[in-house]
Amino acid sequence: MKQIKLVITLLFLFAVGMGYAQNSGHISGDVCFNGMFYIPDSLIGAEKVESKVRANSWLNLNYNNGGFTLGARYEFYQAPLIDFEKIGYKGQGITHYFADYKTDLLQVTVGTFYEQFGSGLSFRAYEDRQLGIDNSLLGARFRVNPYKGIAVKGVWGIERNNFDFDYTKRSDMIRGVDGEVSLDQIFEKLQEKGFSLAIGGSFVSKFEKSTEYQGFIPPEKVPQNVGLHAYRINFGYKRFRLEAEMASKINDPNLTNDFIYKKGEALLVTTTYSQKGFGVSASFIRADNMDFRSQRNISATTPILGINYIPAINRQYSYQLLGNYSYASQPNNQIGFQGQVNYQIPKKSKLGGKYGTDLTFNYSRFHTIEQIPVEEALSLGTPSGTDGYTSSFFKFGKDLLYQDIGFDVTKKINADWKLMLGYNYIDYNLLILQGHGELAHIHHITSEVTYRINRKHALRGELHALFTKQDMGDWIYGMLEYSISPNWFFSVGDQYNYGNQAEAMRIHYYNFSVAYVVGATRIAANFGKTKEGILCIGGVCRAVPASYGFGLNITTKF
Amino acid sequence: MKKTVFLGLFLMIGLVLFAQEKKAQQFPSVDIKTLDGKAFNTKDITNEGKPIIVSLWATWCKPCLAELMAIDDLYEDWVEETGVKLYAISIDDPKTASRVAPFVNGKGWEFTVLLDQNWDLKRALNIVDIPFLCILNGDGEIVWQHTSYAPGSEYEVFEIVKKIANGEPIE
Repeated sequence: MKQIKLVITLLFLFAVGMGYAQNSGHISGDVCFNGMFYIPDSLIGAEKVESKVRANSWLNLNYNNGGFTLGARYEFYQAPLIDFEKIGYKGQGITHYFADYKTDLLQVTVGTFYEQFGSGLSFRAYEDRQLGIDNSLLGARFRVNPYKGIAVKGVWGIERNNFDFDYTKRSDMIRGVDGEVSLDQIFEKLQEKGFSLAIGGSFVSKFEKSTEYQGFIPPEKVPQNVGLHAYRINFGYKRFRLEAEMASKINDPNLTNDFIYKKGEALLVTTTYSQKGFGVSASFIRADNMDFRSQRNISATTPILGINYIPAINRQYSYQLLGNYSYASQPNNQIGFQGQVNYQIPKKSKLGGKYGTDLTFNYSRFHTIEQIPVEEALSLGTPSGTDGYTSSFFKFGKDLLYQDIGFDVTKKINADWKLMLGYNYIDYNLLILQGHGELAHIHHITSEVTYRINRKHALRGELHALFTKQDMGDWIYGMLEYSISPNWFFSVGDQYNYGNQAEAMRIHYYNFSVAYVVGATRIAANFGKTKEGILCIGGVCRAVPASYGFGLNITTKF
Repeated sequence: MKKTVFLGLFLMIGLVLFAQEKKAQQFPSVDIKTLDGKAFNTKDITNEGKPIIVSLWATWCKPCLAELMAIDDLYEDWVEETGVKLYAISIDDPKTASRVAPFVNGKGWEFTVLLDQNWDLKRALNIVDIPFLCILNGDGEIVWQHTSYAPGSEYEVFEIVKKIANGEPIE
């Protein structure tokens, strides 16, 4: 692997030199520094940390010349922010490096790369820097478009595991191929009649040597190859769309499923209808034993070495107080649906006003699947080595995981004032989703006001309240932001846990911040407290420890 | 060995960056998707020689929505005056990507909306955070860019668009 890195580095130097000599080609990149000075605070649970000054930083460099691209990323996470340290995202090195050649017919990548097949049920190599997830593959990838409407992709590689770059120790490897045919591009008659239709399929195989007992399974009976196949259809007729993908995984005993042989299954269906001013969508998901990783012995709570992606299809909120009650996708065990309606009361109508009024209604509900233990499992006391359980496909299991009923309205009253109001009722299964507690019933109110003082100056205020008898009780959140377009942002906010049952824990989590933005450069500083909680992005969540201190964040691109 | 290579690399980059300071970046060529799931190469982001605005956003990004809604209120006038075209490229991933179309239509936006589900374009543009907005001239070169959104910055965007439409220098 070191050789690949060196070759790409040398290629980089050579190409940049040549490009410079010919005055062609272009270098671009980005730099990020995200640092914090930690102050211990025993009340909120911010522990004294080993080194008080910590930072996540990286540099990305891309060189592009025509269809040819070279890229590299250097990450310095030697003393990372404590939440990254907790999940083991710690180290430094050139973590991403590739050479890529692309024409209309084909694209070839050697080095590390990201890729997604279909909606990701079978394969998704992606990154989320805020969550400390980077499951890129080191190897090779091709994409071919042999004929209009036909696309074929193939991947072969070893998955990144945080900062562990000793690939000589690794015996695991991923291979995958994906094909998609866009029928309406081949038969243009379909398109003329308003139809769009694409079908696709993928096959992904994981290899991992088997040398020791896994649960009760002797090494020779642990499958070294695990295969996953998936099929999908994208159908559209005028304003109606249907997207569906189903995937099936064969014999994958692993730590997350208690080493059972049961087949894994997933189905994801979304239908939408939309026209100007009106959109409605309904989605259904069922995932059964679909946690699929490069290695068998990774715990379900560790976000590393995932091969596929089972999305959390509930509506995503970026409200402060609801951050603690985000639904986390359960790849091994969930069935549920989500429906949403967006409607705009027309502009210049009596009810809609000059600018129109936007309404959103949302409902989602997720359960565990039904699981009936197979007989052998009962006698063993642990399902290891058996088929584990049986489950009828469309039956909802007894445990409610998450339910959300939400409604919000956004209205621009006039050129200066804009208003947003929202309400949510949420049922949240703390025990299954966060490992402690019970089913929490939550009421949440959101309000936001933006006032434009003039063309450059604006004030934005947020006031949220969360009411629950469970967990930490009631919360209130207020925030005020003053911005001077386009450069300056000043904000002050406070989350107050006034309803905590323990009086000593009725804490103010305040935060002050200032940001300066010029072009694509942003420098931000903040001071305050962060509560212990769960950070979720894209349905993937991780625990965030409580912290208190001074933060500095710099990002730029060139 | 490693140190030498690094040193060489940084010197080279410094030199090239210095040399290319005045050279605008061509919008990268990346395969993304249209709202009805068709392949779309970003080199096909064109507007018959007139200015183009490209905005990267997501349905879960509140400042992104604030920016696009602010532009939406003015868009009709902008198009009439300059012929500008806005491409709103969503980085919603598989969990929300299929709901982008009803969302956009629900808002009644007239922008051309595309999907960058696995962030290939976001990476090619070296974008760290959204909202990110850039303006391309008639030749498809990125001539202006901005991150974050503060109410009112849409007026600055339009000033740049007007200059490009009139063939005036931006600085």
